[in-house]
Amino acid sequence: MNDAKLPLRDILLLSVVGLLTICLLLASTELIARRMYTDSKTGAERCLVFNDPSTGVRGIPKCVCWEKKYENQPVEYRFNSSGYRTDIEFGPKPPGTYRIVMVGSSSAMGAEVKAEDSFAVLLPAELSKRTGRKVELYNEAIEGWGGTPRNIALRFNQVLAAQPDLILWILSPGDLGRVSELLPPADHQPRNPLSFRARTWQFIKSAFTTKSSKGVIVAIFDRSRTAFLLRHLLYGSQSLYVQSSLLSDGGDAAGQEAEADSVRQRHLKEFDGYASDIEARAKAAGVPFAASFLPNGESAALISKGEWPDGYNPFKSDEEMRSIIVSHGGIYTSILPDFRSIPSPEHGYFLVGGHPNAIGQATISTLLAKELTSGSVPGLKASNQPGTDAGKGN
Amino acid sequence: MDSASIQFVFLGLAAALLSNFSRSPIWRSIVLFMASIVFLGLLAHGPVAILPLLGFLLVGYVGLFLLERGWSRLAVWSILAVILVYAWLKKYTFLPEGAFLHHPYFTLGLSYILFRVLHLLIESGKPDERARIGVGAYLLYTLNFTTLVSGPIQRYDQFALDQFAAEPIALGPRVIGLQLERIVRGFFKVNVLAMLLHAVQEDALAQLIHPFSSPSLKVYAGFKLAIVYPFFLYANFSGYIDIVIAIARLMRVRLPENFDRPFSASSFLDFWNRWHITLSVWLKTYVYNPLLITLMRRITSIAMEPLLGVVCFFVTFFLIGIWHGRTSEFVIFGVLQGGGVAMNKLWQIGMARRLGRKSYRALAKNSVYIAFGRGLTFTWFAFTLFWFWSDWKNLDRVFHSIELRNWSAVWLAIWLTATAILALWERIRALLLSVKMAEEPLLTSRYARVVYASALGLAAIVITVLLNQPAPEIVYKAF
Repeated sequence: MNDAKLPLRDILLLSVVGLLTICLLLASTELIARRMYTDSKTGAERCLVFNDPSTGVRGIPKCVCWEKKYENQPVEYRFNSSGYRTDIEFGPKPPGTYRIVMVGSSSAMGAEVKAEDSFAVLLPAELSKRTGRKVELYNEAIEGWGGTPRNIALRFNQVLAAQPDLILWILSPGDLGRVSELLPPADHQPRNPLSFRARTWQFIKSAFTTKSSKGVIVAIFDRSRTAFLLRHLLYGSQSLYVQSSLLSDGGDAAGQEAEADSVRQRHLKEFDGYASDIEARAKAAGVPFAASFLPNGESAALISKGEWPDGYNPFKSDEEMRSIIVSHGGIYTSILPDFRSIPSPEHGYFLVGGHPNAIGQATISTLLAKELTSGSVPGLKASNQPGTDAGKGN
Repeated sequence: MDSASIQFVFLGLAAALLSNFSRSPIWRSIVLFMASIVFLGLLAHGPVAILPLLGFLLVGYVGLFLLERGWSRLAVWSILAVILVYAWLKKYTFLPEGAFLHHPYFTLGLSYILFRVLHLLIESGKPDERARIGVGAYLLYTLNFTTLVSGPIQRYDQFALDQFAAEPIALGPRVIGLQLERIVRGFFKVNVLAMLLHAVQEDALAQLIHPFSSPSLKVYAGFKLAIVYPFFLYANFSGYIDIVIAIARLMRVRLPENFDRPFSASSFLDFWNRWHITLSVWLKTYVYNPLLITLMRRITSIAMEPLLGVVCFFVTFFLIGIWHGRTSEFVIFGVLQGGGVAMNKLWQIGMARRLGRKSYRALAKNSVYIAFGRGLTFTWFAFTLFWFWSDWKNLDRVFHSIELRNWSAVWLAIWLTATAILALWERIRALLLSVKMAEEPLLTSRYARVVYASALGLAAIVITVLLNQPAPEIVYKAF
């Protein structure tokens, strides 16, 4: 082959072709990603109050708002007159009804899924079927800061006022990170009201002041819709999803490391304080108190596979929560071992966002129903079990 | 440093750049030697860890030194000594456990060094006018960082021809462009394609052995598991080979090709002419040919002659199989490789006898026959690879995860799918290459190469950054 010197014109032309290819690919992928993954300007936070220290984060009564995040369908959040995401208006308990009041954060509130797909709606029907008695569930979970143990403790009187037969606390991996926070930080803006240009400038300024040059490039790329599209596609693989989650900085995986650090110990201590207060108040009111921990996608996947890397224990948070809840006299129902029987449970989560999707919510509902009716909660024993008290009025 | 990482590529490019400061063979050899030492230093954990490797090289060199000075009766002994030291360092289980070194030491690339050293020892006994090999040339050849980890296995004369040439081979902009494009392609294959295929394989394995997967999901997972590993192995190994061949070429040394579109092979014999070519050529040269000649001298029956080839093929490819590892799984892998080529040869002999040579030749050119042969070759290779990537415990779980009749259906489906997909691919490839610009296929024009190298490079960087995890290691590095 002829290896004569290339004319300068050809070298320039080839460089331009290369650059054009890169630019075209980047631009077209970003455009496609933006068409495929859209989000709304508003979200559930429009129905929440974030700035009242006397009440903590709470829902606005009778508020309706819409949210569309990249991975989900548009979702309506309809709050009842008590300020909770449910169609049920709280009132006196009908005779023969077993009432559960559920507290928790975003997963329990059914973030990013339609209300009818959330386990808050599915669970009572499942429990009614298993126990043969009418079970209703008041969902008093509020997403984000609204689900911190401190906020739950603050509005616990409302929980008791509903005269429940059981209080169910749904714990999530993120709960340990901000146990005693009441309100978001002052500069927290769930949806940035600034224009795209102002937002970009604000981001670039903060990135350059806090990160290395490599970090800046990665951070800028991370914000692109292309990055989201690729993540969504790549995380369809269980192994890539799990490995990326385990390697990601600041993810819950880091918090799950077998060797708990001092921050985690402090958080656990704070959590223990709030759990002790909440459980004591439930006990004083004579209401059984139960808690359950929901795993995140990677923990669920690892439990299903039955193997995980050294130094990582997907059951760690569950065990810690159990120990705290039980030490104050509460009932703890663990659904994590049940994920062993579910192939690819990570598909029950939004792969990038991390919340349970409709499949995950249905799975959680089934697993919770199974564990709650296994005999651990006396009023909810499955009707086909010996010695059941199902059907008795309360 | 991983052997196909961005750091390795930069090391190679830096060495190539330095090497081209002067055309003098001494300068180029100094640069190659220094780059190889740096590479070894980055891979090994301290100088003590390299001592056993240096000892092995010393044994080889002493043998070479004596053979070159007329001690030809020591040829067999020196070859045996090298093999024995190799087996000792690799801790082959037929040696007593107590004899092994128990501190960690460096054995990466030892198998490939063994082939190079054996080649030197065998060739040194042949009468020719080749100059004696000095210590420097010996170390350059055996520790060459571009071939150290996983080959390709280059002959010494080819290496010396380029490395020590007073007037090194030309390196113009076109060659540089082609090599850079090849590095990008190789990097993409190893760090993106192989990683994704590895993920598919891991997922399929998890689905297959999960006790609660549905039977239909398990069958599909079995299909995916079998079909994806050959492509993973190809992307992983050939990607690495692309990178090292390109780096060596930028240093004005031509390494032999190790792959020639292996999945286009229409028979298992043809497959081994296209897959890990330098290994099969080495074994054909130093095992198949001598063995065949020896057998033909001893067994003179003409009727038996074709069958002797079958036996020699079996032995050669059985050795290829067991070269890959020390465990019993690799013995089965060897039997299946040897069995595959032997059956292939028997089929050829049988068909030629049954149909007559002319008719069989015509049949072998039939496109449908070729397509089914290609599909069967792929299927057999995919089947044999189960003993390559797995162990007995996993194999037991894999093969018991679905019923035998379902496995039969899976393999039949793989054969038919591979037949159709690979035939389609061949057609599309031929069609694309038929589109020409200035008497050259458009697809291989410099413009097309720049376009897809840019696209692959971008994809490789983006996905590497995004996943922030190392690609699977080069599989052949372990051997």
